[in-house]
Amino acid sequence: MNIYRQEMKMSLRSMISWSLGLLLVLLFFMFMFTAISQDAALITQMTSQFPPAVVRALGLSSLDLSTVLGFYGYVYLFILLTGSVYALKSGISALSEEVRAKTADFLVSKPITRTTIVTAKIMSVITLVVLQTVIYIGGAFIITQLITNQYFDEATFLMINLSLFLVELFFVGLGLLLSVIIKRIKTVLPIALGIVFVFWILQMLNQSLADPILAYLTPFAYFDIAKIIATGSYETVYLFCDAILIAFFTVLTYIIYQHKDMPSV
Amino acid sequence: MNVIEINKLTKYYGKSRGIVDVSFNVQEGEIFGFIGPNGAGKSTTIRTLLALIYPSSGSAKIFGKDCIKEGAAIRQHIGYLPSEVFYYDNMKVIDLLKYSASFYPDVDNKRIYGLAEIMDLDLNRKIDDLSYGNKKKVGIVQGLLHSPKLVILDEPTGGLDPLMQRKFFELIHLENKKGVTVLFSSHILSEVQKICTRVGIIKEGKMVKVEEISTLEHNNYKRFRIEMMELTPADYFSLPGISSLSIEDKAVSFIFNGDINKIIEKLYARKVINLIVEEPSLEEIFMHYYEKEA
Repeated sequence: MNIYRQEMKMSLRSMISWSLGLLLVLLFFMFMFTAISQDAALITQMTSQFPPAVVRALGLSSLDLSTVLGFYGYVYLFILLTGSVYALKSGISALSEEVRAKTADFLVSKPITRTTIVTAKIMSVITLVVLQTVIYIGGAFIITQLITNQYFDEATFLMINLSLFLVELFFVGLGLLLSVIIKRIKTVLPIALGIVFVFWILQMLNQSLADPILAYLTPFAYFDIAKIIATGSYETVYLFCDAILIAFFTVLTYIIYQHKDMPSV
Repeated sequence: MNVIEINKLTKYYGKSRGIVDVSFNVQEGEIFGFIGPNGAGKSTTIRTLLALIYPSSGSAKIFGKDCIKEGAAIRQHIGYLPSEVFYYDNMKVIDLLKYSASFYPDVDNKRIYGLAEIMDLDLNRKIDDLSYGNKKKVGIVQGLLHSPKLVILDEPTGGLDPLMQRKFFELIHLENKKGVTVLFSSHILSEVQKICTRVGIIKEGKMVKVEEISTLEHNNYKRFRIEMMELTPADYFSLPGISSLSIEDKAVSFIFNGDINKIIEKLYARKVINLIVEEPSLEEIFMHYYEKEA
């Protein structure tokens, strides 16, 4: 519990900044909604001139920009990417920060097992991601309501935003695993940005190629906003896939950390 | 009773050597000096005892329990001061010490304040602002605050000024009188000589010798410095028991361990201008071990 508390103390501030950042991005885009929703027909006409593969890759084909949720679904992409970078960064940092700050000797020589350390770290990162989701969804709801001033289905809105949490969990798990595999991690953020970007490129390929296997390789494909808007639910296969991978990352993290030599300073 | 039992402990980092077949025991209540040059394997041995790293083969027991399998329980009673002290930045000294204390049941806050006073440590400063020596003090207090039964010190005096070193040694003595066992690693012999009862000498990953400090000192090692009347043949003093032999012009010096009469016979046959026989420093004995085993 003390490790958890210490961890939260050190990371809470950064989590709040990132959450506010997400809300700022959202605010910026939602201001454009009023303008764009009126010209949605024009935009649709314009994008119809693009090659279909490009339209699909950009995710413009299935969302109706004239509706609040349709527009939100488009903007949500940027939120998702930013949130993913945060989650991956937090996942990588949790265990590797001790090595980077050279405090691993301090922590590991305490009368606790490695498992206890991993558990405390995982719990703290999950707490951060949960808090971020709560702050973000609360803020996003208020912003969307105030700016668009239009009716939208709240349950679906919630479903869309909860997918942020589920994708973030994926990246937390991946980050934890990477942090115990990679020997020396000097800086976290560039790595996180790079990896999220690669997964995003996979998603663009997936969207334009509509390849059935590719979709399993990137968490961004697991939650198709257009389908959530249409059906009001997630796709079970992908939900399952997300859960399995998160579990897999977590278990491997425990096993590898258990047998890892702490690097000497 | 042995507090630490190390049995053929071996650690390779990939292909590079850490330690090979290291075996020794540390008895309850003693201050055991663990000595060797940098890179000899002192830290590797210590870090294995704390399960910071895992041995390639062999085993180690502390308080009779396997230090890997039952590490968490064992570490309850170990205080560890790493050679390089790093702590979470942006934390005050007292916060760090309380965080450290939170890992052990029933730590008395009075002890933290008492230790800090002895080591002259300002508890309200931020750790980032501390000098190397002051960080080391934080490490010392951190390693002792839970009243451990075994204290493991990895080159503890670096960065401490002589006054602080003395206070630190007094502190260790005080703990030792209360029955605390100490494993003290160092590459500075005089420091080990001052405080330890026994020493283990490690070289290139292997234990060379484990010996009582008193035996090392009184093992009838003598340092001879002789000024001869005439030049001496290079092989004149090639006797068993002679080491660190140097012959420069008419000056001869060496360390001898054995029957002094053998040397006197040798000297009797030649003219001597000056002769000094003295107790070698531990440093010299130590070098002697290194040469002999090389």
